[in-house]
Amino acid sequence: MLRLEGIEVGYGRVAALRGVSLEVRQGELVSLIGANGAGKSTTLKTISGLMKPSAGSITWDGQPITGLSPREILRRGIAHCPEGRRVFPHLTVRENLAMGALLRHDKAGIAEDLEAMYARFPRLRERAAQAAGTLSGGEQQMLAIARALMSRPRLVMFDEPSLGLAPNLVEQVFEIVQEVRRQGLMVLMVEQNALAALSLCDRAYLLETGRVVRSGTGAELMASSDVREAYLGGRAFAA
Amino acid sequence: MDQALQHLVNGTVLGGTYALLGIGLTLIFGVMRVVNFTHGELYTFGAYMAYGLVALLHVDFFLSLVLATMLGLALGALIELVLLRPMRKADIDSVMLVMIGAALVLQNAGLWAWGGVAKLVPTPFAGTPLVFGPVSVLPLRLFVLGVAATLLLVFWLLLERTRAGIAMRATFQDAETASLMGVRVGWVHTATFAIGSGLAAAAGALLGPVFMVSPAMGDLVGLKAFAIVILGGLGNLPGAVIGGFALGYVEEFGGGFVSSEYRDAFGFLLIILVLAIRPQGLVALKERVG
Ligand SMILES: Nc1ncnc2c1ncn2[C@@H]1O[C@H](COP(=O)(O)OP(=O)(O)OP(=O)(O)O)[C@@H](O)[C@H]1O
Ligand SMILES: [Mg+2]
Repeated sequence: MLRLEGIEVGYGRVAALRGVSLEVRQGELVSLIGANGAGKSTTLKTISGLMKPSAGSITWDGQPITGLSPREILRRGIAHCPEGRRVFPHLTVRENLAMGALLRHDKAGIAEDLEAMYARFPRLRERAAQAAGTLSGGEQQMLAIARALMSRPRLVMFDEPSLGLAPNLVEQVFEIVQEVRRQGLMVLMVEQNALAALSLCDRAYLLETGRVVRSGTGAELMASSDVREAYLGGRAFAA
Repeated sequence: MDQALQHLVNGTVLGGTYALLGIGLTLIFGVMRVVNFTHGELYTFGAYMAYGLVALLHVDFFLSLVLATMLGLALGALIELVLLRPMRKADIDSVMLVMIGAALVLQNAGLWAWGGVAKLVPTPFAGTPLVFGPVSVLPLRLFVLGVAATLLLVFWLLLERTRAGIAMRATFQDAETASLMGVRVGWVHTATFAIGSGLAAAAGALLGPVFMVSPAMGDLVGLKAFAIVILGGLGNLPGAVIGGFALGYVEEFGGGFVSSEYRDAFGFLLIILVLAIRPQGLVALKERVG
């Protein structure tokens, strides 16, 4: 289980998180929603060790992991699929996937997972030797997801996996997220698409200017009036 | 025609070492965004290490080249750890100033240690040229080209085929995301600077015996290294190889057919031309974003 307690983080002197507490329990898919600049990406970056909190604590399976390097966090089984896909544009698709498995040394297991990724994403197999920068936006997102999974994480964090994708691809991405969770991984997902995020998740947190202002099951958040007005366009959920 | 062939051979020999020099500098810029003013001094360092080992300590010539390169690697690692690592968050101007300072220190330390008189590195190669039809080439120069080509090939294989090489290229492209994959970006920086410095030292150790070795030789060489890197496009590795050979040929042909006194000027003329016509360098990176 992942638990954040009172996390405070800033960029220089600008505070981005002002005491964030949240949990992802065994087997859960948790969504993190909120407006632009609320601090969603910063929360994920703090968990994965890209940012060091100035206050608060993060524990994973009861062990403190606050302030550890991204490498140590990944070693402990938490993978971060960053906002904007961030595939390595001049590496081939295969090399990008190999980067996902950089810390692993079980050759057979890596080969097996690579095969599983290719089976799940046939387009990646077709383009295995192609530079990732030449893939379409949707293909790049699939690659970014597959790369994160290549580390065999126990918790995977997706930052706006549907960003900038055509509607049919958005659906595919959410299907994949659910598949991942069905395989027993914990998922922490940041999504602008609040409707999708809330209907998929077990629980969700609403962030506003660096604070958690609401939390509960997806249905509870969907029913709350401020979430409906601000993120779901109000009327759509009147029924 | 015969003369042109001769210049082609000489230009290739020169181009090979220039490529080594350029790759080292462009690698450091590409990965670390550091404008490395010590590069020419590492070249000088390599040349003097070869001189010291061969002429003073009577170490085997070939072993000396390997050792000089290793010492260059070590000096590069030291510079990175002592000067650059504490300045990771500093702005590019401050880092540039520190590197200029380091270059001055290195050059003057060299002058103090070795004296101002140019030195000759003795070699086991015969002084009589090998003749192939219309072209003649000194065995030493052929050896230099062979080693430079081998080093380029080994470097390329390391970068393309090994896990560490892939991790290095990933860091080159997106350091933050590479760190999310478990790459220790700090160590990649140290390794990059060390390898880049080692390549410069290797170039110095190789060309030292061809020319003379003097404390200020790094000045012009450093400038040329920047010329090569700019020719090929900043941070572009294949570009640096092409830029290195381009500079070698331009110097040889310009020096041979136009004026040997302005030999060094032709290279800089080429940069001015390239910058005016193709400011992104001779080789543009293919990339698609989004
Ligand atoms: N690199 C940075 N430097 C300075 N401030 C930053 C930086 N990144 C984010 N911030 C600020 O921190 C706050 C939180 O940003 P964050 O990226 O976490 O928001 P977000 O919820 O992910 O937003 P979005 O939906 O736009 O991705 C914002 O006020 C933002 O301006
Ligand atoms: Mg964000």
